[in-house]
Amino acid sequence: MSDALSEAIPVLLVAAPILAATLPLVFGLRFDRAGWLFTTLTTSSLFVATVVLATVVYSEGTVIHQLGGYPRAYGIELVADRLSTTIALLVTGTSAGVLAYTRLGGPRGNTFYSGYLLLVGGLLGLTFTGDVFNMFVFLEITGLATYALIASGDGPESAVAGLKYLIVGTVGASLYLLGVGLLFMATGTLNMIELAEAIPQAQGGYENTLVRAAFAFVFVGFAIKVAQWPVHAWQPDAYQHAPDGVTPLVAALVSTVSAYALARVMYTVFTVDFLTQTPYAREIVITVGAVSVVAGSTLAVIQRDVKRMLAYSSVSQFGLVVAAYGLVTETALVGAVIHLVGHGIMKAGLFIAAGVIALGYGARTVDEYAGLAARRPVVAGGMAVLLIALIGIPPSVGFVGKWYIALGAVQAEVWSVAAVIFLSTMLTLAYSARLLEKMYFTPANWLEDPHAPDADVVATDGGSGPGLTRQSDRARPDAVSIGMLSIVVVAAVLAVALGFSGDLFYDWLEPFVSEVFN
Amino acid sequence: MVENAVTDPRPLAAVLVSAIAVVLIIASYRFPNVREGWSVVAALTKFGIVLSMLPGVLDGTVYEWSLAESTGLEFVAGIDFVLRADPLGMLFALLASFLWIFTSFYAAGYMRGLDEHAQTRFFAAFAASLSTALGIAFAGNLVTIFVFYELLSLVTYPLVAHNEDSEARIAGRKYLTYTFFGGGVFLLAGTVLVYWLTAGVGEGTLTFEAGGMSALAEAAQAEPVFAQAAFFLLIAGFGVKAAVMPLHSWLADAMVAPTPVSGLLHAVAVVKSGAFGVARVILEVYGVETIRELPLNVPMVGEVGLNVPVAILAAFTLTAASIIAMRKDHLKRRLAYSTTAQLSYIVLGLSMLHPIAVFGALFHIPAHAFGKLTLFFCAGAVHVETHTDYVSEMAGIGKRMPLVMSAFAVGAAGMAGIPLIAGFVSKFYMMIGAGSLGGSYWLFALALVVSGILNIAYLWPVVYTAFFETEDRHDAKPILEFPLGGQRESYAAEQTGDDSLATDGGAPQPAGGGEDEDDEREDEHEYAVDRYPSDHETHDKHADDHHDHGDHDDHHHHGGPPPGGWERRSPLFGESTWLMLMPILVIATGAVTLGVVPDYAIFLELAAYIVETATGEVVP
Amino acid sequence: MIEYLDTHYTYVLAFVLLAIGLYMMIANENLVKKVIGVNLFQTAIFLFFVSVAYVEGGDAPIVPAETNPGELLVASPLPHVIVLTAIVVGVALTAVALALIVRIYAEYGTLREDTLREVRADE
Repeated sequence: MSDALSEAIPVLLVAAPILAATLPLVFGLRFDRAGWLFTTLTTSSLFVATVVLATVVYSEGTVIHQLGGYPRAYGIELVADRLSTTIALLVTGTSAGVLAYTRLGGPRGNTFYSGYLLLVGGLLGLTFTGDVFNMFVFLEITGLATYALIASGDGPESAVAGLKYLIVGTVGASLYLLGVGLLFMATGTLNMIELAEAIPQAQGGYENTLVRAAFAFVFVGFAIKVAQWPVHAWQPDAYQHAPDGVTPLVAALVSTVSAYALARVMYTVFTVDFLTQTPYAREIVITVGAVSVVAGSTLAVIQRDVKRMLAYSSVSQFGLVVAAYGLVTETALVGAVIHLVGHGIMKAGLFIAAGVIALGYGARTVDEYAGLAARRPVVAGGMAVLLIALIGIPPSVGFVGKWYIALGAVQAEVWSVAAVIFLSTMLTLAYSARLLEKMYFTPANWLEDPHAPDADVVATDGGSGPGLTRQSDRARPDAVSIGMLSIVVVAAVLAVALGFSGDLFYDWLEPFVSEVFN
Repeated sequence: MVENAVTDPRPLAAVLVSAIAVVLIIASYRFPNVREGWSVVAALTKFGIVLSMLPGVLDGTVYEWSLAESTGLEFVAGIDFVLRADPLGMLFALLASFLWIFTSFYAAGYMRGLDEHAQTRFFAAFAASLSTALGIAFAGNLVTIFVFYELLSLVTYPLVAHNEDSEARIAGRKYLTYTFFGGGVFLLAGTVLVYWLTAGVGEGTLTFEAGGMSALAEAAQAEPVFAQAAFFLLIAGFGVKAAVMPLHSWLADAMVAPTPVSGLLHAVAVVKSGAFGVARVILEVYGVETIRELPLNVPMVGEVGLNVPVAILAAFTLTAASIIAMRKDHLKRRLAYSTTAQLSYIVLGLSMLHPIAVFGALFHIPAHAFGKLTLFFCAGAVHVETHTDYVSEMAGIGKRMPLVMSAFAVGAAGMAGIPLIAGFVSKFYMMIGAGSLGGSYWLFALALVVSGILNIAYLWPVVYTAFFETEDRHDAKPILEFPLGGQRESYAAEQTGDDSLATDGGAPQPAGGGEDEDDEREDEHEYAVDRYPSDHETHDKHADDHHDHGDHDDHHHHGGPPPGGWERRSPLFGESTWLMLMPILVIATGAVTLGVVPDYAIFLELAAYIVETATGEVVP
Repeated sequence: MIEYLDTHYTYVLAFVLLAIGLYMMIANENLVKKVIGVNLFQTAIFLFFVSVAYVEGGDAPIVPAETNPGELLVASPLPHVIVLTAIVVGVALTAVALALIVRIYAEYGTLREDTLREVRADE
């Protein structure tokens, strides 16, 4: 493939979805249902283009595109290296897959699909950009699209959740912007690669107060976007009240790409030297991550709503990733990236499964999941496999990520983190097993039992058994399509199959990681 | 003997056979006969595959299959996914796959006899457990064994929680917590530490080597503290499944599972995978030499060997568990504590590090398996036929089930280490091992003797009450809880009232347990449970619903002899279905064979071979 | 210290504004005022950017050089461009936020967060 063509792919990947976002609106004037088709076509061609890009990156190394041909001193670059291409594959693949649910599961309407494409464009921009200010713009585009999509739910709750996310998310992005401003003050450049060279040359080098303050602002900003404890509060509301078709996309991608961006800034801009030489930088990052692991899973255990429980689980899983960033070892970084990808796939599958169950079985709380396995074997089986993969039981992608992160923690000889990582298995087990037990080993009619422990379920419904009737009123079994089920199954199969790809991932990411660490 | 490794897909095939069977079992859920047929076919094929490798293994060949060689990809960077049939693995694989054949017959008889729900899930999970157990046996490095160890915990969970009532759910929760704490936390941590340690002195490795990993021995010199920490983490990880105190309490609770599960899994495959893991760690990860060279510095005591804390825990467990067992009235729970004690024999024998003791411990793996499986199968047969679970209700049951209770007596003698039964041989060697070590190791020999006596004390009363006591005149049990010299009791007094009232607390229930057995007496060849499977089922359900949070013992108390006492049945016909009797007899015969002519049973030869490769010393 | 304040008073102002915006966002119960707080917060950052853009001894890139370089304060164009972009982003955010508030008002009939909490708790 010619260089010019392969260099054009990153631009296409960013520009095409944003431009295409207008099309559903335009065609919507004539055709009611054009949105889904357009979005499917766009996202699947994006996926194909990303695969092509990945092969180019594999054979020829990093692809850099300078927008408008301006040099990086004042121009903007799009960089497709092994790390960003991995994330781009996840973004395009997941966004194409989730459409299998939204076709019949909703939300419908062409405006929704415009927002969908805008979100994909923003995420891809965030992935490929090589410029820290440009990253802010894409962070905000992603944010805007997400706020709108979350608020597109039917209930009024979704608007409140959307606004909450908007206010908190904007603060996060603004703090990041402030950090960028301080970096610019210290160095006079915004390009990531130039920054990496300029920061050590700034007055005082890594001890420059501006640089340190910039790191602090950038980290806190991303901590909000990634939903780390204690600034995670927006996330459970947003995931719970977003429409079932939106949550998989948001949960699998938005925080993931933000976490990727954090890695990009930490490792490409500030570099390993800064992290190791700055006192307490690593310790703070590690502590935030480790506390999030514990707090997130503890909160997950006490949730009644399944989507909310999975949202807190994300807090915990991203805690693992952030803690791995703070370890600053090659193995841990590889593990963090694998866990990002794996978590994205597993969470997308889990939220789609939760959507299918809400649609076809009317169950939204953990208690309502009782007896699900007997009535909806396929989706329950898919969900069970994904939950087990999330716990990190091998062979699964969850285990591969955890293995590398744990090995990294031991290599770094940070024993407290190593302990948290090993214990995270138990923490994840605590909430996953709760759901598994309800689905497989609790008879469906236990709610009708007057002596059931969950007395208030009965009390609120007033009378015997209406809990079930109300649940089945909500259910529309015929609304569940083969496409929805197959995407859950695909996610489950991927989660297991990628469990054998630990070596493949390592080889693929190794050149990037060793470059970062030298 | 020289080891030569041969690439061969048979280890993988042995693991996959029952994994494929899982699919077939689920696919044929509509046809119970076909479904159980798959179990049997898979069991036979599996045993055949394992057996076909035996001659080669005894000649020093190691059959190996690895992911990297087949696909060019390692499992995770630096660590391959290896299945290899070496002598130690063969010992466990041969045992598990052989016993599965008979257990699959027995399970069919048991599950049908009780008309259990979710039988497809049961048989599928059972086959999957065997698949993972073989995976543990053939695992060639610590990561591979970890993979199967975790999977084993996972696939046995549905079996423990099988009953779907709150008791089973709580037992299942406890089971998952304990086993994943052992596997996912301790074992994984130990594995990562070992990898890191070996990477510190060269290429990181986790591959088992007979006599200990040489890289680890080198690393232990440089980082003795971490090497010790890793040792205890690994032992704790496997110790959970081996039910070493204080990590034992899941095992007794797991007895809510159907009896074939308690028998094959919670007396053989699952718990032995723990003991087997301990053997791997001691013999092939650290090696006897390395463990000796890593003394622990204990304040007040001075330097003690790394193995001593493990041995002390095991000795404590085998004594304490035996004492607890004496107080248990529920037969399966009593057997569970007996299992806890017997597994600690194995751990104790291994941790004494003396070749002869290790030899005895390894031989105790099959010896205990045969004996305990007999006991569980008998307990299950009694449950299916008479719904009797409590020892205190079994007075005179020898009349009703002569053959089963005789087999029980054989198994019990084996547990106690009475000569001519398998348990004697292994205990004999362990005592010799402890004796030849001298020093304060005589304490461990003493523990073995004491525990042997305790074994008799808790298993003999069962045999005694079955054959030598009658319904009208028997001692109150458990004996420990009543005045010395016993207290006379009779079932007749309890049964004067309306017995349906006693069983399910006033709920209208026309057909009480007693009438079931009245029907039974009229027909020799067909049993009430077969003819009216729903009878006891509704009975159970009812109890579940109403006593969900009450004393769960309530609804078990519909066992015991029917009014008028046990009827007398011939040992040849009509005692139970042959689907259950045949496996009991075969396994009991196996236990005797291992005890009378151990030289001809292949296990002794394998054990000797393992000890020779691991320690370099030839044992008798 | 005084001297620093004298030369860098714009920084101080920017961060005072930032704090006011943050306080409004957290403490004010009215949703619209919260959004105003967000705007204030962002604007403070924009001001900060503009005020750091002055280059001592700078020189305009296109217009021919001054006779006395450094006499006139010259600003770097890059931060201005950035602020322009950021303002556009901020406007879009405000639009989305107000749209959401309109919807919340239509559903619940209130703009106060405490009332909103009560209404939602009752449901």
